[in-house]
Amino acid sequence: MYEDEKTQQNLHAFKPQLEKMSNKGVALIVFLLLVIGFGMYALYTQIVDGHIVTGMRDNVVWGLYIVNFIFFIGISYAGALISGILHLLRVPWRTPIIRMAEMITVISTMIGPSYILLCIGRLDRLPNLVLFGRIQSPIIWDVIAITTYLSGSIIFLYLAMIRDLAILRDNPVKTARWRNPIYRFMAVRYKETTKQKELLNVATDLLSIVIIPLAILVHSVLAWIFGMTLRPGWHSTIFAPYFVIAAVYSGTGVLIMVMWVFRKIYHLESQITKIHFNYLGIIMIILGAMYGYFTFSEYLTSWYGSIKWDMDVLYRLFNPGEYWHLFVFAVFIGVLLPIIIVTVPKFRNINSIAFAACVAVLALWVKRYLIIIPTLETPLLPIHDLRPEYVHYSATWVEWALTFAGIALFILLFYLFSKFIPIIPVVRTGEEKDYSRLRKIVFEKQMKKVIRQHKKSDAVIAGIVLLFILVSVPRAMSQDENRVQPMLKLEYFHVDSSQILTATLQAKVEGRFISLPGMEIVFKFICNGTETLLGKEITNGKGRATVAIPEETLATGGDKGLYSFEASFAGNDRYDAASVTATMKPLRLELSFFQKEGEKMVNLKALEPGPGNQWIPAENLDVVFYVPRTFSLLKVGQASIVNGQTSLEFPTSIPGNHLGYLTLTAKVEENEIYGNVEVSGTINWGKPLPPVNTIKRGLGDTNAPLWMVYTLIVLLSLVWFHYMYVIFTVLRIRHLGKS
Amino acid sequence: MKHRSSNRRNFLRIGIAAGATALIAGGGNVLSALSVAESKETGEKMKLLTPEGKLVEVDKGHVCCQPAGNLEARQGLPDKKMVMVIDLAKCRNARKCLQGCQKMHFLPPHMEWIKFYLLRDSEEMSPYWFPKPCLHCNNPPCVKVCPVGATFKRTDGIVLIDNDRCIGCKFCMAACPYSSRVFNWEEPKMDKGVNKAAYSPETSSPPKIGTVSKCDFCPDMVRKGELPSCVTSCPNGVYYYGDKNEDAVTNGTDTVRFSELIESRAAYRYMEELGTEPSVYYLPAVDRAFNYEVGFEGLSDEEIALYKTEAKIKE
Repeated sequence: MYEDEKTQQNLHAFKPQLEKMSNKGVALIVFLLLVIGFGMYALYTQIVDGHIVTGMRDNVVWGLYIVNFIFFIGISYAGALISGILHLLRVPWRTPIIRMAEMITVISTMIGPSYILLCIGRLDRLPNLVLFGRIQSPIIWDVIAITTYLSGSIIFLYLAMIRDLAILRDNPVKTARWRNPIYRFMAVRYKETTKQKELLNVATDLLSIVIIPLAILVHSVLAWIFGMTLRPGWHSTIFAPYFVIAAVYSGTGVLIMVMWVFRKIYHLESQITKIHFNYLGIIMIILGAMYGYFTFSEYLTSWYGSIKWDMDVLYRLFNPGEYWHLFVFAVFIGVLLPIIIVTVPKFRNINSIAFAACVAVLALWVKRYLIIIPTLETPLLPIHDLRPEYVHYSATWVEWALTFAGIALFILLFYLFSKFIPIIPVVRTGEEKDYSRLRKIVFEKQMKKVIRQHKKSDAVIAGIVLLFILVSVPRAMSQDENRVQPMLKLEYFHVDSSQILTATLQAKVEGRFISLPGMEIVFKFICNGTETLLGKEITNGKGRATVAIPEETLATGGDKGLYSFEASFAGNDRYDAASVTATMKPLRLELSFFQKEGEKMVNLKALEPGPGNQWIPAENLDVVFYVPRTFSLLKVGQASIVNGQTSLEFPTSIPGNHLGYLTLTAKVEENEIYGNVEVSGTINWGKPLPPVNTIKRGLGDTNAPLWMVYTLIVLLSLVWFHYMYVIFTVLRIRHLGKS
Repeated sequence: MKHRSSNRRNFLRIGIAAGATALIAGGGNVLSALSVAESKETGEKMKLLTPEGKLVEVDKGHVCCQPAGNLEARQGLPDKKMVMVIDLAKCRNARKCLQGCQKMHFLPPHMEWIKFYLLRDSEEMSPYWFPKPCLHCNNPPCVKVCPVGATFKRTDGIVLIDNDRCIGCKFCMAACPYSSRVFNWEEPKMDKGVNKAAYSPETSSPPKIGTVSKCDFCPDMVRKGELPSCVTSCPNGVYYYGDKNEDAVTNGTDTVRFSELIESRAAYRYMEELGTEPSVYYLPAVDRAFNYEVGFEGLSDEEIALYKTEAKIKE
């Protein structure tokens, strides 16, 4: 199998890479592990102390982590789109770069989402995403899309590896032999029989068709996390395609950088040639031009429309004191420089294209920063805060450490992976042409080292000193010196059938009335010079104590129909004693409802004790009508009692309950003779409450709109059906290998 | 002096009103409610209207005062639709509402559920103070984006957060156009008593690290028939709170018909154009009780300067 000259030559060239590890390689791994270790320490700090150790605050709730998340998901496009499209179009020069592209996809799709985890305040509650997941939330879309995408990318990478795994099975490695059984298992008895070859090609084609729309969807969903909010600079309809284009652009850039690096360290000059750099460079600048076009369209639309909030964000981006320099780099240099380098033949060589890619990738990282931070720093209402860290975002060492740890992990995984399987497919199926023979390799000069610096000029307000507003400085109350004379108020309440006395104890301290809780109030009934104890009660939080007047007290008839009560407070070391008396006359209120000439009316009768146990009409009384509401009484009218009665039009416009039942209360308030007397009545003359809405489906409801459920189910089943089919095909390949 | 006299008036009216509605109103803070949570009978009576139109008197302990559990708190209070009306003509940035709110919810000084802005719509116009709690939108952008349903809209119009479910992704904070939400960036420094109290989304207490908090419209107080602390703490009666289904709002002193108030004073909802349909209505600052500069009293020079910059006020 694979006895052709080219394959054998490749195997001979690549096997030492798998078998030997140079000192430099070991040093690289140690260094990367140190960087990752430092990142782990930063993560530990963040978990122990909380997110306070990051630069994120209430306004800029997301920072570098989300920037890195978008960045890594963006570069994952390299594999999905580039390799998918190149494969489907049978582009002949794709072979040497296709595995690198797919590896970028798998590794960055694994690293990217871990950044979103770093943003989450309660990692211990991640299972809630499954337990209580709401498919109305773009975050759930993201979780579903990324897991599906990662699974697809892994299968895609694996399919493209099967031939090389088979050749490694047949030519076992001599160091780290534990790998050989893995190669054997993963090679699924692939022997390049006609049937096996056909099955593998069909599976690969199928998956590359599925992975392209899936990749577009994943990045659209990511853009929608921002696009769905009502934030200036985010709430844009072109955000999804804009993110997709930016992602492919940065993905192509990273692919060129990876090609350049491996070409150097593994001496792949004969495999990865200038033509690869040229072609990818051209693809990259086309994407760069599209990215520039989207950017222009986005900002031109905002600026032309000049909605206040959009302008606030634009002002920050164009303000030399804020983001202008970063903006110039991300939008002008990041687009124009690669275009100039690639299009002008004089500048075009392997190193310069790699440099252009590097600029593009950095610019795109900065662009993500400029999408996230300035918008969050510009909420619709101004950030009114004196703490500079709440006004301007500035990433802390924790966030930087974890950023570099992510990059280090990316490099480490890439490097280790290149030790497991050749970075360039070994097996040539013969459909590609060998470009190394067609073109001479040109060795370029090393590019000059370019120093890149970007400053973040957020020191504008950094000089403002942190200030806490003292909520209030209560002056120490003077003790002992001046005793306070409290005020005691005694009120009589006659509510429907119950009659009570309420005493309120207050004192004027520092010019303000305060209620005195926890004080004992003694209530007495005074009749013809004799005192009867009614009760001793403790005042509540509002300085109020209440006692019910017993029936027998009322049965005495009082002193010629008048009842006298006394409330007294004995005083303590701070407050003087106080006592107050109140005299009242019983009043009977009767409320009735009637209709007169179609008008709904309320009638109120007021009666007082007359001679010989008779109730006679009361006179000279003001009465107020209320409707009780949750917190208080809503006044609906007032009247004077004439001849012991009065009437009022029923307030039919006031809502009652579902059946229209409404309670009306008539009150005689703080009357010198009668005290407080009230009576209530209920009738279904109010405005009925409309029926309660039943369970709804909607974005803000518990249940998602049905179209959303169906769309999700259809999309997911389509994709996973293809995955299953591909896995089934691999199993068939394995089965065919038996015979 | 104005302040004091209005306080006295407050006291008198509240006294009468409370005496009549619920016979006696209990001490009104969360702690007292929590402390009686154990004993069901509180001895305090409260009147309820049955659907058939009968008035019944029940013990308060049976209908309220128990902090609602996490699942129970997802249901709204039946037949209610809570609304707030903020009278900008009466606000002078005294910030007593915030103090009351922070005290009631045991918040540290820097955690502000009510924020104060000095707005000025254009340079020809006069600046006005603008207190902003959570607007409890009827089409809440925050609720839409929550991946786990930790923040939810109840049938009574209140948007709450279940801090036991929140994963802290902060998406709701990014989605809220009104910057109403705050995050517990570190372990909240709390009184031991507060931390031991049973958590309820209705009291938003005790707060939890790594989760989001905000103004909760005090449903625990509504259950007791009492007003939120911001309403009762305001010396100028700026805040009106009530049930839209009852067509009544009160600022503790005056009770008025909601529909009449928003009609006669030409109320508006902040940034209505966003389609969020807030439950908080603002009364425009016409015939103001105070000059806006009164609001600078007690503020640091830096803060005054910041307000002036935001409102584009030139010296």
